Amino acid sequence: MQTVAKLIDTSLCIGCKACEVACQEWNDQEFTLGTFGGTYQTKPELEHNFWNLIKFNEYETDGQLSWLMMKYQCMHCQDAGCMKACPAPGAIVRLDNGTVDFNHDNCIGCGYCITGCPFDVPRLSPTTKKVYKCTLCSDRTAVGLEPACIKTCPTNCLTFGTRTDLLRKAEDRAVELQADGSTHAGVYNPQGVGGTNVIYVLKDASNPESYGLPKDPTIPWTVSLWKGPVKLLGSVIFLGGILGTFFHYIRFGPKLEEEHPDD
Amino acid sequence: MIDRFNIKERFIHWMVAICFIYAALSGLAMWSRHLFWIATVLGGGETVRALHPWGGIIFALALGFMFRNWASQMKLDSDDKVWLKMSHRYAMNDEAGVPPSGKYNAGQKMLFWMQSAFTLLLFLSGMILWFPEIMPRTLRLGAVLVHPLAAIGSIGGIILHIYMSAFAVPGSLRAMTRGFVTPGWAKAHHRKWFQQTTKIEDERAR
Ligand code: HEM
Ligand code: SF4
Ligand code: SF4
Repeated sequence: MQTVAKLIDTSLCIGCKACEVACQEWNDQEFTLGTFGGTYQTKPELEHNFWNLIKFNEYETDGQLSWLMMKYQCMHCQDAGCMKACPAPGAIVRLDNGTVDFNHDNCIGCGYCITGCPFDVPRLSPTTKKVYKCTLCSDRTAVGLEPACIKTCPTNCLTFGTRTDLLRKAEDRAVELQADGSTHAGVYNPQGVGGTNVIYVLKDASNPESYGLPKDPTIPWTVSLWKGPVKLLGSVIFLGGILGTFFHYIRFGPKLEEEHPDD
Repeated sequence: MIDRFNIKERFIHWMVAICFIYAALSGLAMWSRHLFWIATVLGGGETVRALHPWGGIIFALALGFMFRNWASQMKLDSDDKVWLKMSHRYAMNDEAGVPPSGKYNAGQKMLFWMQSAFTLLLFLSGMILWFPEIMPRTLRLGAVLVHPLAAIGSIGGIILHIYMSAFAVPGSLRAMTRGFVTPGWAKAHHRKWFQQTTKIEDERAR
């Protein structure tokens, strides 16, 4: 099956938040009032029952203020830090179409995925003690529908399709924007996590931080160390300890209470 | 028979041991997907996730009591330092030239200090891992290394400890179950301690 993706063309986002509403509606999430941060942003951050957030970034360069609106959600990384960190078999699964989905029956609520994710996306629910995030509407894509946010977007800022198609489309759009005067326009598909299934066109791709996106996201090195060499070290020490002491017994035997040789 | 551990020491030791074994098994269940079956045995992943930190905290508390009782007896003396240099001879049961030990030999003392340090690390990093949603990210990124590394070190130490007490030095286990050892055992393995205790008893008898 082809990997599916979502393209977000930030130059077309008008901050209407229709996608936020569609996400809440389709996924049947209760809206809980949060903190008001003094901007148009609905919430300061993603929440366990709020998976799709339009960030309103105010970014100043040379006395010029840009008001950057951008849809934030799980990036459905190709090399997903959440999956790498998760200890519970089957709690985080990659669907045939490339989507990274959580399977809550298997989730134990340890929160390792929160630490493994370079985009700070998964959120623990205080009531169910399980972790939640955008599913790329896996229950819709499974039957050939596009995700709810895409369906509702009034400006064509959001498109759904195969990853290969959308990457090409994104490149074309970046060229178009460059011709329009946004010389730094480009595609955000960070290679540090093997590329993402949520792809952005940014008007200034040289500075993704101004949109609230990490510049060079990778799985944190301590997480890679933890799940690689540290595991190996542990296996060596545990097996070495058990086998080593066993063979020590075979070779040297127990210490008997005979007279000490120095006597 | 010579008394070695009183009931208080034995109680604390087994509190530490039981909680450690629970914390270690439940922790290992979450350490590797290949060991997740341990979680199933212990009541399921959610149960293990919820109870492991409590097991760990009771363990750390019990170890705190153990530390208070024993720390003063665990200082290395000059014989112990020579003992450590000769420890390969001790390990090969060829003890010519290995200095005699007091109540604890240098290996036991080192184990005590190492386990105490690892427990402190396990406790601090465990508290961070416990609340991923409120702990700062940098602390969590450190804790995911410190916690398993300290666990590996302490489980490794305990494998050695169990081997020594239950297999390699016969007669040791009874010191921690019933509290006493034979004079022969004391003389062979902890001579300085044997001499002290028998001297005290001689004086009493006189
Ligand atoms: C001292 C208090 C302790 C606390 C508060 C604590 C807490 C935690 C927490 C919160 C986790 C993450 C999984 C979970 O949420 O259950 C964890 C994992 C773990 N704990 Fe502990 N723990 C403690 C002591 C210990 C001890 C004594 C051991 C045994 C040697 C141990 C071994 C482990 C292991 C092996 C893991 C899995 C680490 C990994 O996934 O790499 N812990 N602990
Ligand atoms: S953005 Fe985070 S939660 Fe989403 S797939 Fe990547 S690592 Fe996992
Ligand atoms: S909280 Fe759930 S999904 Fe996240 S790492 Fe733990 S078991 Fe896996």
